[in-house]
Amino acid sequence: MTTEYFEDIQIGAVREFGSKIVSKKEIIEFATKFDPQSFHIDEVEAADSIYGGIIASGWHTASMTMRMMVDHMVSSRAGLGSPGWNNLRWYKPVRPGDTLRVRSEVINKKRSVSRPTMGTIFGTIQVFNQDAEMVMSFESLGMVLAKTTDE
Amino acid sequence: MEKQHWEDFPVGRVDDFGNRLVTEEEIIEFATEFDPQPFHIDKEAAAEHFFGGIIASGWHTGSMLMRMLVDEMLINSTSMGSPGVDELRWKAPVRPGEILSVRSEVISATVHKYKSDRGFTKFSYVVSNEKGKVKLTMTSTILFLKKAVGGSQ
Repeated sequence: MTTEYFEDIQIGAVREFGSKIVSKKEIIEFATKFDPQSFHIDEVEAADSIYGGIIASGWHTASMTMRMMVDHMVSSRAGLGSPGWNNLRWYKPVRPGDTLRVRSEVINKKRSVSRPTMGTIFGTIQVFNQDAEMVMSFESLGMVLAKTTDE
Repeated sequence: MEKQHWEDFPVGRVDDFGNRLVTEEEIIEFATEFDPQPFHIDKEAAAEHFFGGIIASGWHTGSMLMRMLVDEMLINSTSMGSPGVDELRWKAPVRPGEILSVRSEVISATVHKYKSDRGFTKFSYVVSNEKGKVKLTMTSTILFLKKAVGGSQ
């Protein structure tokens, strides 16, 4: 696979990838470790909650998204990690049996002034279910190595 | 113990909590499933990387923060979930053997525009290790039910 450097990444570039089936077992397993609220781990209580059944922890959905990004995108970039992200929103519950996929778009890129051998890629990550409903989105920040120190 | 409602989280409320030991086994287990980059899962590759050893996936650190929030604040509250997170920053790598804790501060509290029985509370969180080194900061919102007016709800 060709490695993408800062110069290779185009503003407006869109990638769609991933096909992650979410199982009830995984939802309960993740939430038992990291988010043990009843609507994530207890089928009886979840049925009575505003969600009407077990739903995935938002952190689980985000982590499943990261896995799809690593498999399909991160590994092909000369990435140097990420300082974080902005405006993550959970729009709809993720339920057992849902199939998730990701749409990634490059919104902007800026070469570092202090370290011109790298730059930051600003992206939008959107996650959809099998009915094309957006379940989550966030604005990503990724640092990427450059090939040269100028454009 | 009575559940904590929206009114119990006024602006300026500060809570310190959490005592989470991060193990190498857990770092590798999480990252193998969700973030299989070499510096999270491969000790030898991580040692040669600029991080100089295995570090936790940032999503793992976020998830550990979530667990501390659930145990301390949410499990005994009227939380109805969260619409999202405004900002998250990974300030420094989290390594095996570190012990994480949280400082939480309420930065805004507003009643729901259309449903007056509930309100949004915005929190600022700082996750630090046992030496006080800041590892992660986050600003996010939780929706809580309010106390019933006249106890008739």
